Amino acid sequence: MGIVIAVISGKGGVGKTTAVANLGLGVAMNGKRCAVVDFDIGQRNLDMILGLENRVVYDIVQVMDGEASLKQALIKSKVDDNLRFLAASQSKDKRVLNSKKVQKLVKELKDNFDYVILDSPAGIESGFEHTIEFADAAIIVVNPEVSSIRDADRAIGILDSKSQKVKDGGEVAKYLIINRIVADMVQSGEMLKSDDILDILNIKLVGKVPEDSGVIDASNQGKPVILDKHSIAGQAYKRISARLCGKKIDMKDVEVTDSSLFKKLAGIFK
Amino acid sequence: MFDFWRKRKSASVAKDRLSIAIMSDRGCKDIYPFMDNLKKEIVEVVRKYVGVRGIEIKKEIDGSFEAISIDVFLEKDR
Repeated sequence: MGIVIAVISGKGGVGKTTAVANLGLGVAMNGKRCAVVDFDIGQRNLDMILGLENRVVYDIVQVMDGEASLKQALIKSKVDDNLRFLAASQSKDKRVLNSKKVQKLVKELKDNFDYVILDSPAGIESGFEHTIEFADAAIIVVNPEVSSIRDADRAIGILDSKSQKVKDGGEVAKYLIINRIVADMVQSGEMLKSDDILDILNIKLVGKVPEDSGVIDASNQGKPVILDKHSIAGQAYKRISARLCGKKIDMKDVEVTDSSLFKKLAGIFK
Repeated sequence: MFDFWRKRKSASVAKDRLSIAIMSDRGCKDIYPFMDNLKKEIVEVVRKYVGVRGIEIKKEIDGSFEAISIDVFLEKDR
């Protein structure tokens, strides 16, 4: 039986869907069977990031309503055999979801995959609540910026009160990804340090992703940035995926610029 | 030109503003980490004198003014 991870953020536009696509592929490249599911009903996007938009026949709502089987609806990734994708409905309203249907679907996915990664809609409304309801763990994606961090804290609060695992007396594991870090700005004191963000949110860090123009280039082409060997964001997602698969990988300090490293070195020889 | 040095770095401004905003978003109960211990100790002290049915501690913020309000509920037939 697999593990279900909800990827959430509170605020939109912080890189949630990009994270889901890259972590899904990264986990699959580590040899695990992985399903990524777009829970953003009405605003389907994960298909574009994965480059699978032309292959969608059945969507998540059709599976939940019994109009298609899960097997029929799951789309195989073009790059890794271990990865499958389930699309969100584009035409329907997110109010079609209900707990019973979601629970049944999540269970079926869990029975068939090692990792099930759910892409939550932004915000903290019903669509979000359904995404976290039956998750074993959550990955919270933030940008080093005040509105993203504040919204993430609200989302974490709801996660802690609405998750079925918590209601059953358990705990949902929570991990933070800090996305779009600009090292120069952190060094000059114009961007929040990851330590400060961890202090405020008080959860465990699973990875830091530097700002990288390669991410847009990757989504333009529908090829997740993890496939780009030269991309620093892609490398970061590789490290995070390996951590999710239980490998011990040191946290790379993406907040240090080359020049600040040089200053540190120069300091030693003073 | 020395204004640059006097000005506080914006990241530390962000940290302070965020900490305050998030604290008030989270509501009263998790603001003080010592709240549970405080409750226990107050109940212990009051119990020396009179029966206690329950206790409620609230953090109250009124402008720049911050206070803890403590309600101790006593047993009826004492």
